[in-house]
Amino acid sequence: MPFAERALEADRVDAVVIGGGINGTGVARDLSLRGLRVALFERNDLAFGASGNSSGMIHGGVRYLSQAPKVTESSCRDSGYIQRTAPHLLFRIPFLMPLESGPKARILLELVDAYFRAYDDFQPLKRGKPHCRLDPHDLAKLEPGLVGATVGGVTFDEWGVDGARLCVLNAIDAIENGARVHLHTTVESIGKIGEDAGEGPDRYVVEGRHRLTQDRVRVRAHVVINATGAWSPITASLGGLPQARARVRPGKGIHVVLDRRVTNYGIVSEAIDGRQMFIFPWQNVSVIGTTDDDYFGDLDDVRATSEEVRYLVQGVARVFPSVREARAIGTYAGVRPTLYAYGKNEDALSREHEVVDHAADGAPGVYSMLGGKLASYRMFAQELCDRVLPADFDSSAACTTHTRPLPGGDRVPDAVGLATAHGITPVAARRLVYRHGERALRVLDRAVRSEGGLDVTCPCEPVLESEVRYAVREEMARTVDDVSRRTRLGLGACGGMRCAARCGQIVAQELELPPAEGHAMARDFLDRQARSRIVALGPEQARQEALAQAHVRASLGGSR
Amino acid sequence: MIIVGAGVAGTAAALAARKSGVRTTVIDGGTGASTLSTGALDLVPWAEATAVALSIPHEARSVLDALGGFVLSDRAVRVLTTAGIVRPARGHDAALLDVTERASGQVGVVRCGRPGWDADALVRAWGRGYEPLDATVIRHADERSLPDADFAARHDDEERLGWLAERLREAIAASGRAFSALVLPPALGVERARADALSKRVGLPCGEAIGLPGGPSGLRFERARDRALASAGIDRVGTRVTAIQWERPSWQVYAEGRDTQQADAVVLAAGGLLGGGIEYAPSDAIPASVLPPRARPPLKLGIEAPLTLGSRGQPLETPGSLFGVPPESLASPFAIDALFDRAGVLVDQNGLATGAGRALFAAGELVADIPHTWLAALCSGARAGVAAAREAAQRGAEARSMA
Repeated sequence: MPFAERALEADRVDAVVIGGGINGTGVARDLSLRGLRVALFERNDLAFGASGNSSGMIHGGVRYLSQAPKVTESSCRDSGYIQRTAPHLLFRIPFLMPLESGPKARILLELVDAYFRAYDDFQPLKRGKPHCRLDPHDLAKLEPGLVGATVGGVTFDEWGVDGARLCVLNAIDAIENGARVHLHTTVESIGKIGEDAGEGPDRYVVEGRHRLTQDRVRVRAHVVINATGAWSPITASLGGLPQARARVRPGKGIHVVLDRRVTNYGIVSEAIDGRQMFIFPWQNVSVIGTTDDDYFGDLDDVRATSEEVRYLVQGVARVFPSVREARAIGTYAGVRPTLYAYGKNEDALSREHEVVDHAADGAPGVYSMLGGKLASYRMFAQELCDRVLPADFDSSAACTTHTRPLPGGDRVPDAVGLATAHGITPVAARRLVYRHGERALRVLDRAVRSEGGLDVTCPCEPVLESEVRYAVREEMARTVDDVSRRTRLGLGACGGMRCAARCGQIVAQELELPPAEGHAMARDFLDRQARSRIVALGPEQARQEALAQAHVRASLGGSR
Repeated sequence: MIIVGAGVAGTAAALAARKSGVRTTVIDGGTGASTLSTGALDLVPWAEATAVALSIPHEARSVLDALGGFVLSDRAVRVLTTAGIVRPARGHDAALLDVTERASGQVGVVRCGRPGWDADALVRAWGRGYEPLDATVIRHADERSLPDADFAARHDDEERLGWLAERLREAIAASGRAFSALVLPPALGVERARADALSKRVGLPCGEAIGLPGGPSGLRFERARDRALASAGIDRVGTRVTAIQWERPSWQVYAEGRDTQQADAVVLAAGGLLGGGIEYAPSDAIPASVLPPRARPPLKLGIEAPLTLGSRGQPLETPGSLFGVPPESLASPFAIDALFDRAGVLVDQNGLATGAGRALFAAGELVADIPHTWLAALCSGARAGVAAAREAAQRGAEARSMA
């Protein structure tokens, strides 16, 4: 039976994808576009793990240049594809790499210069600018806060992206092409359907439970794809597969968020142990990243610690000391699913990906997507689909994800024009267009038709009330946390003090939940955010913390 | 005597001292927790409130009378928050609607077209007994998006308040329903609470719900304080005190841009972390490209003074790390009973600072181990004010007899 016909049956799909990160949503979209019927399960929310907590860059793989220039080339080409399919979501981040004076610094500068000259060959693939070689005077002029004697440095060009939005857009496009997406739904078992069960080519039955409603979902499928990142071995074990076959090395990475853009350029610095780290402007904030430590804790509750924050701040303060006085308004943490190799240190491990075919484990049609990174997600998804379609579905449908725009990526509307037309601030319009591209028009269209739709719910970001409602109705947000992931609501300087309660009210209203659930999800969000801030607490933020706490105590109750 | 700080605690100290006849000056460096208060008066955080009503001392009550504009109750009252909660309190800003006991009929939640005030959502959240009421509250287009405090200031105008009352009366008539009270967003005046005046004109109790910090309630406190201090003949100086030092025979108070002032007794009520009386000062926040230059306790006083910071009677310790104490162990929600909530100046039961020697008092959030609430600040301020005035009077008498 051709797969397109089977797809019509409600409890049967061609492929179950487990995991709502960038690998899962990317492959769900690709499979859907190639005509397969897909069901996606995600235990938490889209982009809950590493995908929503990365450095937020679509980089060109510059680190692979000397060993594997092909990887650099394909990374740059894919970066170009992502720019073309989601032009609204990418922004340029120019980096500076200062080189400290020292015995071999001049030679090092020549080498770095030559290295980036080679990288320049690939920059046109992603509309990047060629690198510049700078003398110490240029460096001081570009970033006056830099200290220390240098022999000069270089610039190089990369692109930033909101990883959570990228996941949401892939999931939405998958849905619009027939996929069903079950969020907050834990897969509890992956069972084999016996040979004698007869009818149809379904080989597996996947059972999930909704963590908020406790509803059960049961889906039969021909193919199961494990795209659960650091959770991969857990997922494999649910299907009775040897966990070691889906083993990854979980590397925890944290980032510190500052309340504004404190530098114009990303600055590359070095930590005490020689690891490279960055401070870089990202959307409307600055971000310091990142660490890489083996992680053995709960993957559903990954948090930065003050130890990690201090390690990062110390590394950056060597070249940019005023970072100690900057106001940190939060941290975020994720666990990278690095390919497993014993003995190598975390940084030496490749971030590249691998498809494991579990036919060898007696489970034909079950695949694990291991490793990967934001920048190469599309390629990874294509690789898997190119393998699965001929092997399991006898199909030769071609990949279109490099040309077909992601939702909202058809055209980027003029934000200032929208602001004037709707009487909202240009900043609000600009942020809305950034997140939604052409679909900003849909959000605004609803806004003008509903009372209070143009009201600003989160003044820091800013986020309009209609965008919050849009996130619930069209982007599957179920909690204040989910809304925040999709809109950046509550992630600004006030830490959600001004918007969390209202957002909870709106979510409860939209989902017809009791108001008390709206309060509870607002409190949960504020509590989580407070924990993410306090590990990076400095003198300036301490007063804001005291205010936030006093306010929550006065208006929402609870200890926070 | 000199009082440093004009929040709830400093004001209470000044007003409580006024009867003693001691000449009192208040030096005030700007806004803090009191200006950011939102109108509910608690003695302990309400989520932790026990059934036992803790008593409010009489000197604190008389301060509240002198201040005006605040209602204190012996029983727990119930007030509404714009976050959608009905919460208990010991008292409230007179502009707030008390919903403890209502005659028959629903409380009307006025639909007003202001962002963040969703009458329908609030009706559902506050529970049984509330009903939306369509009314015109916005008179000029800009009022839709004015901050709460600016919008509230418009109702200081008598004519405008009358206009609002008329609109509300019309709305009630048009609804054909009987309401027991009306609740509005925090908008009823900045000069003073206009809830009573509005209620009289509408013929129903009208009042606000609790809003965000920085709203009209904090400003009404400031206005009430200004009036009360002026009518008690207490001097006000607007500047920041930098240091307090004992130099025989009196306390020297150093302030920015002012001559040094002398006093027989000093009450320090400069606020806690929020007000700036206490600062979070971890050693790793000192700008340095190498190691922090020294280890120091995580909290310090915002004013140089011979006072000891600590909690539970113990002074703060120097941490065993140049980088300071991990913040996880200092603040909630990580730490239970966190140092941030408890630390302050160590004092005796009258607010006399431990170890300072003579007549140096602390009050309000600056004090160790007192709840960070409006009424706790009021009580500690009033106590310290009375005790300081007594000391000052005694010292003044001694000085005169020696002369």
